Amino acid sequence: MDTKETSGIRRHEVNPRTLAIDRWMARLINVGGVGVIAAVLGMLVFLVAQVVPLFRGAELEELPSAQLPAGVAALVVDEYGELPCAVMPDGELRFHRLDGSLAKSWRPDLPGRSVTAVRAYPRDGIVLMGLDDGSVAEVKVGHRSRFEAAGARVVEADPALASVLPIVPGAALESVHHVRGPAGRVVLVRHASPAGARLVAVKVAERRALGGKVRSTPSAPAAVGAGLAGVVGEVLMANGERILAVLADGQAVVFADADGSYPEVQRFRPFPDSPGARPTSLGLVLGDVTVVLGSDQGHEEAWSLYPQRQADGSEVRAFGRIHVNEALGGRADGFAPSPVNKCYVASSRGSLEIRHMTTGTVRWSGPPVESFLAGFLSKNHDQMGVLESSGRLRRWKVDDHHPDGGWRAFFAPIWYEGGTGPEHAWQSSSGNDEFEPKLSLIPLIYGTLKGTLYAMVFALPVALLAAVYVSQFLRPELKRVIKPTMEIMASLPSVVLGFLAGLWLAPLVDGHLVALLLAVLALPTTALVFGTAWSRLPLAARRRIPPGWEFAALVPLLAVSVGAAWLAAPSVEAALFSVRDPGTGQMVADFREWWRLATGMSYDARNSVVVGFVMGFAVIPVIFTIAEDALSNVPPALTSGSLALGASRWQTVWRVVVPTAMAGIFSAVMIGFGRAVGETMIVVMATGNTPVMELNPFSGMRTLSANIAVELPEAPVGHTHYRALFLGACCLFLMTFVLNTAAEVLRQRLRERYKVV
Amino acid sequence: MTTSPTRIQVNPSVPGDGRPDYIRIQDYGFWYGAKKALDAITLDIPERQVTAFIGPSGCGKSTLLRNLNRMNDLIDAVRHEGDITVGGRSIYDPTVEVISLRRRVGMVFQKSNPFPKSIYENVVYSLRVAGVSDRDILDETCESSLRRAALWDEVKDRLQDSALGLSGGQMQRLCIARAIANQPEILLMDEPCSALDPIATGKIEELIHHLKAQFTIVIVTHSMQQAARVSDRTAFFYLGKLVEADRTEKIFMNPAQSQTEAYISGRFG
Repeated sequence: MDTKETSGIRRHEVNPRTLAIDRWMARLINVGGVGVIAAVLGMLVFLVAQVVPLFRGAELEELPSAQLPAGVAALVVDEYGELPCAVMPDGELRFHRLDGSLAKSWRPDLPGRSVTAVRAYPRDGIVLMGLDDGSVAEVKVGHRSRFEAAGARVVEADPALASVLPIVPGAALESVHHVRGPAGRVVLVRHASPAGARLVAVKVAERRALGGKVRSTPSAPAAVGAGLAGVVGEVLMANGERILAVLADGQAVVFADADGSYPEVQRFRPFPDSPGARPTSLGLVLGDVTVVLGSDQGHEEAWSLYPQRQADGSEVRAFGRIHVNEALGGRADGFAPSPVNKCYVASSRGSLEIRHMTTGTVRWSGPPVESFLAGFLSKNHDQMGVLESSGRLRRWKVDDHHPDGGWRAFFAPIWYEGGTGPEHAWQSSSGNDEFEPKLSLIPLIYGTLKGTLYAMVFALPVALLAAVYVSQFLRPELKRVIKPTMEIMASLPSVVLGFLAGLWLAPLVDGHLVALLLAVLALPTTALVFGTAWSRLPLAARRRIPPGWEFAALVPLLAVSVGAAWLAAPSVEAALFSVRDPGTGQMVADFREWWRLATGMSYDARNSVVVGFVMGFAVIPVIFTIAEDALSNVPPALTSGSLALGASRWQTVWRVVVPTAMAGIFSAVMIGFGRAVGETMIVVMATGNTPVMELNPFSGMRTLSANIAVELPEAPVGHTHYRALFLGACCLFLMTFVLNTAAEVLRQRLRERYKVV
Repeated sequence: MTTSPTRIQVNPSVPGDGRPDYIRIQDYGFWYGAKKALDAITLDIPERQVTAFIGPSGCGKSTLLRNLNRMNDLIDAVRHEGDITVGGRSIYDPTVEVISLRRRVGMVFQKSNPFPKSIYENVVYSLRVAGVSDRDILDETCESSLRRAALWDEVKDRLQDSALGLSGGQMQRLCIARAIANQPEILLMDEPCSALDPIATGKIEELIHHLKAQFTIVIVTHSMQQAARVSDRTAFFYLGKLVEADRTEKIFMNPAQSQTEAYISGRFG
């Protein structure tokens, strides 16, 4: 230690350890601060990295082409795209390796008959063959893959003739179709007749007999579109046993099954906006209810079967236009659906594209192929191929992990298959495989704001008025008790509140709704009436109660008013909210039924009122504490100044204290708002989690945060659903960020305006 | 709380007693909890004069001043005995609203406390809280109050600017303008110049000199010179007791009590 001797008194120099500790602490604090910033940025980067792939288009890389024979009638490709099967017009199946060499050739054993028509169902691995004697043969292509000991993959094929069914004896079939339903299948054939082309449908009932053999029983053939002078052009079979044929003049005709016959049920003209356009390509996307039509002028539209209200009020499933897509590069000339999602290959004279039906987006666009004979998207959505008429099979590697992503999928109203109009919907999972997830975030954002709104409607008046009362009117000795109590309230875990809300409050509110609503009305009314009466009392009477103790007179009155509301509820309900019970015909007092009938809106036991109340309960202490601090920090000099000028206590509070504390009150509100927006457990447990979009106070909601909490454990990592949940997290972050920033800017301006010397 | 008779006898031998701007303090004692701050004060404050309260810190002069418009009611656990009458009527009269008392007995504080509002809104505040919204009345009152507070010429072009942009002396004059806007009868000033520089102090003192023609002014000051310059009468307090009250010349030239003399001449305090 360095000391100096000065006139007998020692001066003590700074201890080097003090300096060293000072330096080290400064560094440690710096590291901590930078670490916090880095952690926040890191989380942000992680969130964005999870979300960005959703908005990428598909990326394609062309693979070497394979040579198949020319004149192929249809194409069936295995899962890995390694052993394409060329179906020749004469019924021969030729399996080629990618180097062009023939791996296998196979012909169905049909003695004495020849194949006149083929149609492939690549998704099912089935080729239908129409024969010259009016029969239809069903051939299983039989692609199989196995792994050898060394790990190498071997794709083989073992084709087999599954069945031969006579449909129109003696007629040479020009085209064949079928669609498989739960009870069997419907086979549709076209053959020439003296009156022109004729469509005939046969229902084939299939029963699996003992031993696994399938027994098929065809029904009597039914002419489709009897009276229609020859069906020209393309024919499709949609699900629900609809048959859609495009006539030579470009109109589409729909026939539906009606007990064995197939009358025409609908006739529509695709491309109604451009009268000259005629369909040149069409096909069904996965699910077989939506047909995508391309025109000779490059238009593209999707028409889907959905319930449509008729003039007489009944609902009929009919085709309606659900999407008008971006124009193709030129005359449409080819269509190939994906076997696993709503994507399809759309070929035109100007471009070759991968599109997604539901979102109506172009995933990828490239130069056109020479000619489009057939195309495929693989089962893993990782390969695309187009067979040109020369027999060249062009192949692309597809890198498209989220074909159903994109801005439109998450934020725009989408017309889903089966829906009656464009809508925002969140429905992320279901029991069956062909189900298409609906991942619009709008209902969740709506739910978040709805929950916040109801919480704030309840919390704001209570918290702010309580803060004003406690800081300006209450006795200091009581204030010393009440403030810490409120702070303890803030530390209640929200899972406890959620538990109470869901299991105790919701049933209670459900059973005593009218009493609750009456109490909500009665409390402020009583307080106001009491206040008015109090101010009319003679001064001498008022003096009996010392200032700050007025509440002692009010509280019993409030208790009485709540009790009165409780007791009056049944008679009020009977008087105002009686409805006729449809079962017994009696009038019953039931607010819930009355609400359903009077407003046409739903009533759920887990509703916004319960959430607003409990979430409000969670938010009140936050707002109260901060606002109370802000109000208490208004300099007493200002209060005294106002009182000395003859202002009443309320005038002082309203004109001086509140404006001066405005910045603090504002941040209290904003922090409360942020808490409500991000609140999770209460909404998970008490809202019912229905992603509805209505302001109805008696329905639930699904918030972004609750959605993440509920679904993240079930979402497969890296899948669209998983990333959509992260997108929800990003939205939540963005909402609070924008809100807080705006609030902070406003707060600074308020503070500038009401700063105190 | 000790309640005194509602009305006390007006003393006919005192010329101003009974006028609305005449203050009479009788046997007045005041406690903060258990601590006695004022002890048996009896003092008459005549109308349209400046009365200065002097004395060392903690002698009770500010307490007494703040009791004249019952500002001390805001503090917990206070009580009083004896009585104070303004215009012959007890300020503790249960039929008197404390708000109306304060509208008659205005106050200017030690530290200027303009509200975070415009200059205009500060001046007309007492009218606003009284429910006046007629623009003409407000404009007129604002101008006349600012003129009487000798501030008009300095702020007339920026009445809508924030009052917080004024200098310390201007703020204090604004507070005076605000206090006289509602035409009180009595103006209480609690060390109004203690935070100001000599020039600003000079202006306020000049202002007080002019204002005493209209108001009964009670001023608490630490500065003997100020008391001598502005007041007509001076009351000297010591340890919660009124030691001596008389005309200012008398107190400063020829005090009756030796304690007063000692304080005036700076031997303690």
